[in-house]
Amino acid sequence: MTNAQRRLLRSRITSVLIHGVLSLGALFMLLPMVWMVATSFKLPGEIAVWPPHLLPQQPTWANYSGLFEAAPFLRFFGNSVFIAVASTASCVVTSMIAGAVFAKYRFPGRGVLFMLVLATAIVPFEAYMIPLYIELVRIHWINTYQAIILPTLVMSFGIFLVRQHVASAIPDELMEAARVDGASESWTFRRVLVPLSGNAIAAVGIFAFIQAWAAFIWPLLVANNQLLFNMEVGLTAFQFRFSADYGKLMAGSTLSTVPMLIVFLLLRRRIIENMALTGIKG
Amino acid sequence: MSALTGVGKLRRRDALALAGAAALAGTRSARAADTKLTIWTGYPEIQPVYQAVAAEYAKTHPGVTFDFFSTSLREAEQKLTAAVPTGTGPDIFDIGTNISINFIDNQLIEPNPPDIDAHLKSGVWGKFTVDFFTLDGKTYGLPFLEGSRASMYWNKAYFQEAGLSGPPATFPELIEAAKKLVKIDSQGRMTRSGISLRLSGQGSGIGEKFRYILEAAGGSLIEQKGPGKWHNGYDNQAGRDALGFYVDAVQTWHIDDPKVPHDADAFASGATAMLFRESWVIGEIQSKNPKLDYGVAPIPAWKAGMPRMMLLQPEGVYVNGQSQNKAAAWDFVKFLTNARGGMKLTEVTGWLSPRTDIDWKPLLAKTPQFEVFVAPPSDIKYYVEPVLTAFDEVESRLADRLTASYIDPSLKGNPDAIAARIHDMAQQTDKILKDAKLYG
Amino acid sequence: MKRFRRHAGLWVWCYAMLFPVLAIYAYVRIYPIGRSVQLSFFDWKLMARVRPFIGWDNYTRMLGDENFHIAIWNTFVYSLATVLLSTVIALPLAVLLARRGRASAVYQTIYFLPVITPLVPMSIAWKWIYDYNYGILNYALSFVGIPPIAWLTDPHIALWALVIMGVWKVLGYNLVIFLVGIRNIPAPYIEAASLDGASDLQTFWHVTMPLLRPIVLYVLVTSTINAFNVFTQVYVMTLGSQAAPGQAVRVLVYDIYQNAFQYFRMGYASAEAVTLTLIVLGFTLIQFRAFRQREAA
Repeated sequence: MTNAQRRLLRSRITSVLIHGVLSLGALFMLLPMVWMVATSFKLPGEIAVWPPHLLPQQPTWANYSGLFEAAPFLRFFGNSVFIAVASTASCVVTSMIAGAVFAKYRFPGRGVLFMLVLATAIVPFEAYMIPLYIELVRIHWINTYQAIILPTLVMSFGIFLVRQHVASAIPDELMEAARVDGASESWTFRRVLVPLSGNAIAAVGIFAFIQAWAAFIWPLLVANNQLLFNMEVGLTAFQFRFSADYGKLMAGSTLSTVPMLIVFLLLRRRIIENMALTGIKG
Repeated sequence: MSALTGVGKLRRRDALALAGAAALAGTRSARAADTKLTIWTGYPEIQPVYQAVAAEYAKTHPGVTFDFFSTSLREAEQKLTAAVPTGTGPDIFDIGTNISINFIDNQLIEPNPPDIDAHLKSGVWGKFTVDFFTLDGKTYGLPFLEGSRASMYWNKAYFQEAGLSGPPATFPELIEAAKKLVKIDSQGRMTRSGISLRLSGQGSGIGEKFRYILEAAGGSLIEQKGPGKWHNGYDNQAGRDALGFYVDAVQTWHIDDPKVPHDADAFASGATAMLFRESWVIGEIQSKNPKLDYGVAPIPAWKAGMPRMMLLQPEGVYVNGQSQNKAAAWDFVKFLTNARGGMKLTEVTGWLSPRTDIDWKPLLAKTPQFEVFVAPPSDIKYYVEPVLTAFDEVESRLADRLTASYIDPSLKGNPDAIAARIHDMAQQTDKILKDAKLYG
Repeated sequence: MKRFRRHAGLWVWCYAMLFPVLAIYAYVRIYPIGRSVQLSFFDWKLMARVRPFIGWDNYTRMLGDENFHIAIWNTFVYSLATVLLSTVIALPLAVLLARRGRASAVYQTIYFLPVITPLVPMSIAWKWIYDYNYGILNYALSFVGIPPIAWLTDPHIALWALVIMGVWKVLGYNLVIFLVGIRNIPAPYIEAASLDGASDLQTFWHVTMPLLRPIVLYVLVTSTINAFNVFTQVYVMTLGSQAAPGQAVRVLVYDIYQNAFQYFRMGYASAEAVTLTLIVLGFTLIQFRAFRQREAA
């Protein structure tokens, strides 16, 4: 074998090994989801069987159709979408503004304010949701959409992510160049910072969407009327006192993951692919 | 105090209703115009029953409309404890005594009005049940469903296979039977447990299952010495026997193991031969494995000559002390807990009504296994969960320590170590009671 | 003077931009958290009307509570393990998957899926995977001759089983963040390095890693915060009968939840929350210090 041939073989073997490891990992990642989807097609008799088997032997759509009969899940789904979209829009805007300001500008109190913002993400929500609830009772916002969306309007991790991204990926020279040319701060922000933060914004978008979609305890506390339920809260209808209707639970959960998957697929390129960096000298 | 949930339009209607009801002072009937009653339940499977009963009620009470909310138990408890103290709670709710006692203590639930009080004591409900809803001489709420009467499920096919004639009547018999029923495969793994005990997990459920054994052995979790004075009731031979039973079951006789499946799912699928549980398992078996050949018998006596014990845990429906429609609410609650409501409850969900005047024959004809739950043998002795604020914590903290003890090898065959462990746990129980100023 | 005016103008602009965001924070986070901290010094029983001031009592009681000690230890072990594993695995994975192409895209999506699946059904699925007799994990191990492991019911192993599940859930999130970071490194830097004769590994270590520092800091900080706040999956795994032994997997937020909503000791639960926050804040500040960027002048 020539040297070149040996090198080619080695790189082929490496490639196969890498694909092998990645595929094994992918299997590991997918397994619980496969179980969830498979269970959503099983009848109750098949779910509690012992020893358990993964795939249904008599697959059925009953769980999916039963889902919509048991409760207005179309409405719950719509609510989830509405709340998630509203929250995502707000989080993206607030994170972009705050993240960029924290990253690129020095002003008194910057460090403290940023740490304060980050610290609020550390406190477990369970610890302060009652005082927040009491405050919303005071302004008569209980059982309203705005109450559900309110705590999801901002996302500390979003601000943090934009800050890190802007700090590392956008050179100060670019901003200086614009300033020297006489541009106002707002113009620099809009025309330089924002366009170059495309992938951070997209990342914040998907993460905010996921977080808002999965919101459970707050919507449950605040919504007294079924019409305001999101998917997560609606699914508790199948968790009985001592048992659960696993089939319908899994069916509802499977349906729940679809929108998030779609949003991710739409944003994936934007998040991960590089963008043309114009105006950067190498 | 801030009004109920609902849109502004309804508040005006409620105000009219209130004025109307006030004018009709003395009569409690819900002839008030357009009343909306909100009902919250922690049993999603029971919401259809509420809705069906409400629909019937609405036929004879036009102008009363209902709004329902249900979610899983822990979440319902969280929601109620956030909403009721802040005035945003429902008119009617069902909840266990662990929460209701806190509401009562803080005047968020009021004592029953005189006619409801008389109704509760009218003889429809047994003395035990009535006492359970009485605190300091006043009654609160009406019983809606029986939450326990846990009994012993036994797999007839497995018993026959093992050459056993019938269910055990005493614990020594149970142990012998379990030893014959357990199945261990060639690699030493248990594939079928003789009896499915609650060995692991979290929460007061572990304590509750421990009490089945403890009470049978003659002990109790806490004992009352006088009004407001309680202390532990298991730092004695009964407590040691009960813990010893669990330790031996797992480590000496090998009739159960944390690694095998447990509970209703296990019994329904045949992964265990015996199980102590409530009546809802019958519904599970019907939906998951209707061909299962099984029976239900009372939990055995600790030994011959001792009584068989049964836990009663009636759950109540309460009217919110801050409801704007108390009269209408109580009227509906009375309707809900009548005999027809009780029958509907059992038909739809398998939960039983604690009323003594229901004719169970049609139910028993279809499913004879209900017999022990609806008509327990007359020699059975009942016990209930003490109604005090600290009890949940007593039970939960005991549970935290029990699961570790069951599999602790240092306790195996070591009565002194077991006695020391029980003493330790009892001291923790007493400490909790002291902290809550309920010790005595 | 002109310089100061210019700076002041800039500062005003900064505050003006931040104001709406900070206002929201003040209302939905700072204020309720502040109330909670305040109430940690009171005997606040959720439903009681009387709330006597008790100073440091909640805190001293907490320091003596066995459940709290167990929770701190478990949470600490869980967090350390999860953060390390999920970061160390995600980074090389991101480098591998940073290439374009359909294979990369498929892998990226698959590895991200656990992040979007709802926690409750996933916890149930994992209970099945970890089952002693018939779980897929023990089944796979049997092929390699390893005897079955009591993943969830052995108190010594249960926490590690949760760590594995935690890493599974969060790996995709870290992966995506790293991919964002790697993608932002301008290609010329990488090209220059390989032109200079550096191997792939050397390029990674000397060019990519330093440029990724801010992103690595993000991943470490957010992973730590999320790990210390773990709750739902532990809660579901320990519910019911086929579950992990309670004390083996008691975590801080579960203790907070139990004290607040089962025992109704909101003041005490607030004290625990304050403690948790201070501990994690401490770690966060240490991480920031370790990864301090050399600021541009």
